[in-house]
Amino acid sequence: MKLYLYGIIDSSSMIPEPICGLEASSVYNIPYCDIGAVVSEINQPVQAVSKRLVLEHEAVTEKLMEKFTVLPFRLLTILDGRENVLSMMGDYYGDFRGNLDGLRGKVEFGIKVIWPADKVKSRIIDACGTKNRNAHLLDDSVERRFVREKFEEHKIDRALREKADGYIHAMDVFLGKFAAAKRLETLRTENLLLSAVYLVTKDNQDNFREAFEHIRTARKDFKYLFSGPWPPYHFVTLRRKSQPRRNSGQTAIFDKVILQPTLVEADRT
Amino acid sequence: MTMNSIVETDFPETFVEEMEKLQEALPQRIDANPNNVEKGLAKLVLTLVELVRKLLEKQAMRRIEAGSLSDEQIERVGETLMKLETKMHELKEVFGLKDEELNINLGPLGDLM
Repeated sequence: MKLYLYGIIDSSSMIPEPICGLEASSVYNIPYCDIGAVVSEINQPVQAVSKRLVLEHEAVTEKLMEKFTVLPFRLLTILDGRENVLSMMGDYYGDFRGNLDGLRGKVEFGIKVIWPADKVKSRIIDACGTKNRNAHLLDDSVERRFVREKFEEHKIDRALREKADGYIHAMDVFLGKFAAAKRLETLRTENLLLSAVYLVTKDNQDNFREAFEHIRTARKDFKYLFSGPWPPYHFVTLRRKSQPRRNSGQTAIFDKVILQPTLVEADRT
Repeated sequence: MTMNSIVETDFPETFVEEMEKLQEALPQRIDANPNNVEKGLAKLVLTLVELVRKLLEKQAMRRIEAGSLSDEQIERVGETLMKLETKMHELKEVFGLKDEELNINLGPLGDLM
């Protein structure tokens, strides 16, 4: 019998109210010491991530979040039978316990910010006077012209990054005050100024949201995406390296799951 | 199926577009099926070559900025960088690769470039 794993919870008791999982199967807890692995049985092999799968998986983990601390599993984590689940729990018990303790009472929020990179770049170019400076390069050799153009690009890129760092720092000062942990990524694309996840205690959710609203109001020329509260997908860390288990379709235990915002949004409307 | 988490934005299409750009640039694995194993490997190798080329370029720019290169050296650096860029351009064309495809996701460390 194949078991689909949704997450690890800080309880070895039965789940107090019925939760419907994939293929409309009942979700239940497999206890191990004082924690549990939440699973449901599946009959059909699930090969690919679909919109439905994402939504069903997320719905289960969110339901669990209401009552427990949850370490969410990546999508499509499937093990062959209860024995394999217990064996995996035994292998990782220390890590699971440590993460559950560290993440108790905390949720994750995602923030993405798009800035008008083209406009910022244009302003930088104007400030550098690059266009004028290039005019006299016509007398240079091809090689020297190439180097100078590269050098101008280099300076513009650096100035753009400095601007980006400045904006991100200003935002993070506000948001970071209410966060227990964070992960920030700068300029993953030229337009995507910030892609961040913040771990926030449940008590601080409203403050965090208020801080975000403040930022949104202050810089109206940027575009924002705010999401959450999610299970702490990005803040689970395993000291022991996860390996595929024999006789299972599992690939890895805790790779981060990136939910497609549009899918979630589509379901809500 | 009910969900409590929210995704709020006034610009969903813009964000989808940016996320799609990321997905295109960051394959989860090398595409090594028999029909395009050559392209998959070329992509990996050219990504590493491109990384080295960019590092060389950055280092050259730093040295120019610091004023530690003579005119003659700048000339030579320019020639080398130009040739490297031209060769990379040719190789990308041969294997049908775009600039944005030459990247590798290093997991928790982020993107290679």
